[in-house]
Parts: sequence; C-alpha cells; structure tokens
Amino acid sequence: MSTRARAGQVHLNAFLKPPGEYLAAWRHPEAVAGAGVDVRHIASMVQRAEAALFDAIFLADLVGVPLVSQDVLSRVSVVNDSFEPTTLLAALSTLTTHIGLIATASTTYNEPYHLAGAFASLDHLSHGRAGWNLVTSLNDGEAQNFGLDAHVEHSARYERAEEFFDVVCGLWDSFDDDAFLRDQASGAYFDPDRVHRLDHVGRHLRVAGPLNAARPPQGRPVIVQAGSSEAGRQLASRAADVIFTHHPDLGSAQEFYRDMKDRAERFGRDPGHLKILPALSTIVGATRYEAEDKADRLRGLLHPAVALSHLSYWLGGYDLSGHPLDGPLPELPLTNQSQSAQRRIYDMARREELTIRQLAQRITDDAGTIVGTPVDIADHIEAWFTGYAADGFNVIFPYLPGTLDDFATGVVPELQRRGLFRTAYESRTLRGNLGLPRPQSRWATVPAPLTR
Amino acid sequence: MPATDGAAPRRLGLGALFHASGGHIAGWRHPAARPDGELDIGFHVEMARTFERGRFDALFIADVVAIWGEHLDSLHRTARAEFFEPLTLLAALSSVTERIGLVATATTTYNQPYHLARKFASLDHLSHGRAGWNIVTSVVPLEAQNFGQERHLEHELRYRRADEFVGVVKGLWDSFADDAFVRDVAAGRYYQPEGLRAVQHRGEHFSVRGPLNISRPPQGYPVLFQAGSSETGKDFAARHGEVLFTSQTSLAGAQAFYADIKARVRAQGRNPDDVRVWPGLSPLVAATEAEARQRVAELQELVHDDVLRRLVQDNIGDLDFSDVGLDGPVPEIPSTNRSQSRRDLMLDLARRDQLSVRQLGLRFAGSGIVAGTPEQVADHMEAWFRAAGADGFNVSFPYFPGPAVDFVEHVVPELRRRHLTGPEYEGTTLREHLGLARPARSSEPVEHAGRAQ
Repeated sequence: MSTRARAGQVHLNAFLKPPGEYLAAWRHPEAVAGAGVDVRHIASMVQRAEAALFDAIFLADLVGVPLVSQDVLSRVSVVNDSFEPTTLLAALSTLTTHIGLIATASTTYNEPYHLAGAFASLDHLSHGRAGWNLVTSLNDGEAQNFGLDAHVEHSARYERAEEFFDVVCGLWDSFDDDAFLRDQASGAYFDPDRVHRLDHVGRHLRVAGPLNAARPPQGRPVIVQAGSSEAGRQLASRAADVIFTHHPDLGSAQEFYRDMKDRAERFGRDPGHLKILPALSTIVGATRYEAEDKADRLRGLLHPAVALSHLSYWLGGYDLSGHPLDGPLPELPLTNQSQSAQRRIYDMARREELTIRQLAQRITDDAGTIVGTPVDIADHIEAWFTGYAADGFNVIFPYLPGTLDDFATGVVPELQRRGLFRTAYESRTLRGNLGLPRPQSRWATVPAPLTR
Repeated sequence: MPATDGAAPRRLGLGALFHASGGHIAGWRHPAARPDGELDIGFHVEMARTFERGRFDALFIADVVAIWGEHLDSLHRTARAEFFEPLTLLAALSSVTERIGLVATATTTYNQPYHLARKFASLDHLSHGRAGWNIVTSVVPLEAQNFGQERHLEHELRYRRADEFVGVVKGLWDSFADDAFVRDVAAGRYYQPEGLRAVQHRGEHFSVRGPLNISRPPQGYPVLFQAGSSETGKDFAARHGEVLFTSQTSLAGAQAFYADIKARVRAQGRNPDDVRVWPGLSPLVAATEAEARQRVAELQELVHDDVLRRLVQDNIGDLDFSDVGLDGPVPEIPSTNRSQSRRDLMLDLARRDQLSVRQLGLRFAGSGIVAGTPEQVADHMEAWFRAAGADGFNVSFPYFPGPAVDFVEHVVPELRRRHLTGPEYEGTTLREHLGLARPARSSEPVEHAGRAQ
C-alpha cells in the first residue's frame, strides 16, 4: 500500500430512506412493498449496515406531506408512509449493538423538553449510540400541521434553532454524571446538590427544567447539522459534531470543508472534532456496464409528473406548470426555503442551458449519483478524503436493499484493502467510533453546584 | 365459571403498570429491588417478557414531563427523577416482545396532535398492532414551566383542549383508508387519491391540515386508555376511553364508579361493553397471609419521614406542611387546581379514620396493596370482577422483579384455573386480547364537543 497524503480513515453513515432515495425506488423489482413501515425489513438492512461497520444509520424526517398535487403525491412512497424516526430508532436499538442511530428532529415545531427527553432516552436505550440531526422546518405542508399558514421565515427559524440547541444541551446537563447514587442503605437516590434547574428565559423559549433523565451516556448525543446558508454554517460550526453536506464537485467540497473547519476554530473548537460528511449516492456494479444498466433500469421507473414536481420542490415550491416543459428555466425569486439548494440548481440550469424537462430529469435522476465499480467509488472516496474535502460520507442509497448490499459487499472491502475504513468497530458508542470526545457538562467546571 | 350461552367468555383484563423501581415509593430501597433499573433496558426487557409469560394484556408506562416533584429534600429520596421517554421505551420493547400490548401515557396539554398521532401510529406499526395511548391532561404544575407556561391550564380548559386534541388525532389516523395503499408498481400508483382525506381541522386550540404521513394504524386506532375521575374527567373518559384506569380502595367504591362510568358511556351513545374498567391493584403475594403482611410492613419501614410528609402534601394541595407535625391531624384544605378526585379520596379517608399525617402518608404509600396468598389475591380479583367492580386490573408491584414474578408464577395460574383468564393470548393485537373491535375509519370530518367548525 502506498503512503497516502492523509492518514486516518473515513467515516460512513448510511442514509436509510426505505425503499430508497430515488422517487420511483418503490417500483423497483427488488423493493419490498410498504418498506417504510416494515420493521423486519428495515431491521435486516440495519443489521447488514452494522455488519459492514457503518458508523451510523440516519433517518430523515418531515412532519407533514409536501403540498403538491395528489397526482404526484400518490405516485411516491416515502413522504406518505414512513415510521416516525425516534420510535423506529428505539425499535432498532434493541436489535443492534454498535451502529449509531441518528434521526432528524425539527427545532421549529418541537418543544425542547420533549426532544431532549426522547434523544436522552434513545442514548440510554442504545448505550450511547444516539445522534440528533438538528433541522429547521421549511415546508408549508409541515407548518400547516402546527397552526401556521406558511413556514417560519429563514432568519427567525435559525434564531430559534440556536436557542433551542442551547436549551436541549442544558436539559441534558440537568444531572451531573455522578448525581445518581441509588444508595439503598442511606435512602439517597440522587445527590440533591448535583441537579441543576435550567430556568431558561429567551426570545423563543422558556424552559425551567430539570430534565427527568440521567445525563446521556455520550454526555450529549452526537449533533448533526446540514444547513449550508450563512446562518446554517454558523450554527453547524458552533453546535455540530457532524455535518451532512452536498457538493457537485471536489472544489466546492474543499471550499466548504475549509470554511467550516475555520469557523469551528473561530468558535474555539478543535476542527478535528467537526466531521464533514458530504453526500455520496452510488449505484455499484461488478463492471461499469453492469452499474450503468442498473441505473438505466431505475431511471425508467420514474413518472414525468413526479420529476417535474421534484424540481419544483427544490426550487422552493415554485409551480412550474405554467412554463413550457421544453423551454428554459425562468428567473425565479429566491424563496424562504433551502436557499443553497436553489442556487445550485439555477447555476446548473444556466451553465448547461437545460430545458425544464431536462433539468427535472437531471435533478431527480442524478443527484450526484456515482455509477461505477467498487474501485471507481473507492477512488472517489479516497480522492475526496485525501484532498480534504471530506472526513467521511453520508452514503445515499437510490434503491433498497440493492444499493446498500452492493456498497457493503463491494465498496467497503475495497476501502478496507486500502486501509481507508475500519475492519472492526473501535467503540460501542457513536462518539467513540467517530473519534469525538464526550462533552463535559456545562456544570463540570463550576465549583459550587447551584440548586434550588 | 365459563360462559354457558355460547358467547365468548368474559375475560379478566390484566395490565402491568411498570416503573422499574416499583410502585411503592420506597420500593427501590428493598434489598431485592434493582435500584439502578430505571434506565436499564436489559431489565425492562426482562420484565416485559415476564409479563408476556404471564399473558398480561398490556404493559403500561406512566409519564410526567418533569421530575416528579419540586422539593429536592424529599424527591432525592425517591426513584422519580430519571426515566426513559415512554414512546421510545415501548418502541425498543416492541422488537423484543411478541404479543403484549404496549401502552404509554402522553399528555394533550403539552403536545401537538400531529406529533402524537404519528408516534402512536408508528408504535402501532412497529408492534404490529399492540399500541395503546393513555390520554392524560397533566396534573403536575412543574410540567407547565417546562413548556413556556407560568401555570397549569385550568381544569375545564384542559379537558376542552383534550377533547379537541383527541378528535384531531383520530382524524389524522383516518387520513388514509385501510386499502388506500395499493402500491401498484405497474401503474406507478402508490396510493389511491380517493382513499385520502386530510383532516383540514380549524378549532379553538389547533389548526391542523393533515394528512398524517403514515398509513392507518394496524388497529385502526391504538387502544385509548383514560383515567379521569372528576366529573369532567369521567365524561371525557366515557366519550373517548376504551380501558379506564381508576383508583379504588373498596369494592363498594369500585362498583359505584363502574356503574356510573358505564351509564355515562351509554349516555354518549356507546355500548358499555366496549369500555373496560380497570381499577388499580398492587398485589404482594407470599405463601401465607402473615408473611405477605410482614413484607408490606418491611416496605413501609423504608419510607423516609421527608418522603411521607411530601407525599401527603403533594397529593392534597399546594400547602406548606413544614410546620405540621407528622403525628398530628391532617389540616383543613382549600380547593385547588389539582386532579380533584385524588384529593377528595384522600381527605375522605383521613376524616373517616381520623388519621395523623404520618398514617395518611403510609396509607397513601401502601394504597392499593393487596397482601395475601395467591388464592386470596385471586379471590379479591374474582370478587371485584364478578360483582361489577372491575373488568380487569391495572396491576402495579411495590418493587421489581420479585413480586411481579411471584404474581406471574402463582396468581396467574390460579386465575387461569378459575377461567378468569385464558391460557393463551386471544390474538396478536392488543384489541384482540381485549376483545375490542377495530374501529372503522370515520366517514365524518373531525368533530368534537362544542365545536361547529
């Protein structure tokens, strides 16, 4: 093995979205009907991901269905029929032993006390394997399930998210690590000097605390963030342990990587403790021909109405039906929703002079999917890792279980041959496997505990 | 005796109220208890399987979204400050159990209907139809302050909100028809649009568009549990509840509650047989009655004075008891915004028996404990069951695992011998175990009391 430009190994997260990321994945011949609510099927995939030594699995989440036409919605699966993530991860916690369990939960429509409780519980249930992907909600379909007509404006969402994160971490620190004595003889179950009320009063939240749970085994569950707007980058570089991101090319990934590590340092953090995991979608075949064939068969399953609607979603919900499909993408205002994604799509359309139809197909089909052999995929991973564009990857599976199995049995062994991926778990906690320290309680350096 | 008219025999329902350190406030201090069991999933799995071995219909996890008291002097002497969050706990147990129902408390006062509808639907799918929701409106003032409120919602308003909440949740569970998900691969149609109905609810407390983003729960609706015993609470229970928990200390009281609630159910236009009444019961069995009583006495010895004082105070009203002697009489109490039923029960008890604060506290600590031989405990259960005092019991145990294992090994076989319970589960879902019909999808828009829109 030649000496690499960068020592260390990559981290791999399995982004599970049964029956797959691709909008027509449920129509794939290998797909399991009702995969989104089939716990045995999902558990078997997670056990295979664990056997392949993935750091974690990750479940995305929406608290509502998108506001698109019934003709489109009724042709897709995931947004209509999936488990709620924290309950699914809890169910998986008793069926696995090492793999991390990460779920999305929104700071926009949750209460911090509920969320802190659920993730502390998940961390205790899994003996230190929980992770929280902190998101702000950006769909009107979600807003309308929580008493609002439209989703909250970008800067207010992030302001609440910042405050929410601090409150949740404060709640996790309610009890010191050694607070619970459970001393039958003296009758002291916990030390009353080692419990802390939060008494948070902020612009968006008022929360007294304490949380009704011992401090999580990991101190705090692993925090994941994926925003890439200015506000998103600030929050992520301050709060996150892991960043999920999406880049079309090595250059932009390297720029993002440097920027985030710099920001983390400016917050006084060790940049090595912020793990950057760009998305990596793959379709793997023994030969390139076989891989392309798999990709073609998948693409053939997509309904055009679904593709167009998907594009419209990524453009902030803009209704494109009034514009000719074979004409150019019109100038559209930036909306309140995922601005970085919108800009990326505009740039692509202008750069390659795509029609709306071509763009819709491209956005839905490709999503940066790399179609190739295990060696091709490993080359990509190695190049991005050694080029300081990534500390690992958030692996996306276009259809399940096929692309997970192909990755696990093809790409993982190739990475291991190159010394780029572990051959056994280092730890039983997610922080341990990610090489992240266990955070101290905010009270750990305070000499005299405050109590009431 | 088995039924003779050809109908399915009436079965005694069994729910296990599980709180790892035990139902008795000093249970965690018992030498055979597991003082570190509260956050030990392995112990929870062991107990869930024990109850499943005993063919319990359901495992029930209570919840308060706060620590269970604001006074650390007494609270730190109880195992009531660290818990698993109930829905994640039950989801974790769903993977490692086969048949037992999984019931969690969740409050309508500090939740949003969309979140709860979804989590319980998810639990019902994860468990293949074993989920139940114990609907509460919250009673502990500390909870309010964890959710941005200065004080607790007033009693009537809490129930109005709860009523609207439950209506919205049912509407969300009914988002999709049972056969809506056709998953027609050839035609590329995942669900039939005509099988979808978004709730489009706009009410006093909630505005929820829907639809829910998960298919209809296997049970239609998870089984709805309720425990209100105030007038408002009982009406709410009669409107929505399917299994009703109640705290009763005498057969006469239980019969009165039973008759009253079944009449209210009838008044709501529901069949009283569709509602099960489960009083609480805390059995402690031993080979002889004397030995069982001795065990209770040992447990009561473990209750610290600070805990006793607070126990009385917390359950009677927001009064300062620090100057009240433990061995003096219980003082007069004004009405408060607490769960009124419990306070009234306590005060009636204290006046009738002229109890000191200590004695009242110990009564409360030992409340519901039925100590005796397996036959005596079975006799008690059978008497209440046959005399229209109970359709089943919400069984708690003073500590774990011993008393629960004893119950499963000695009382359950006795109940079976008497044909009060069957040898096997009735089916695979909680509704099937309980003999409750699967609710059809409502063809009506969401409705709830007092709302026109």
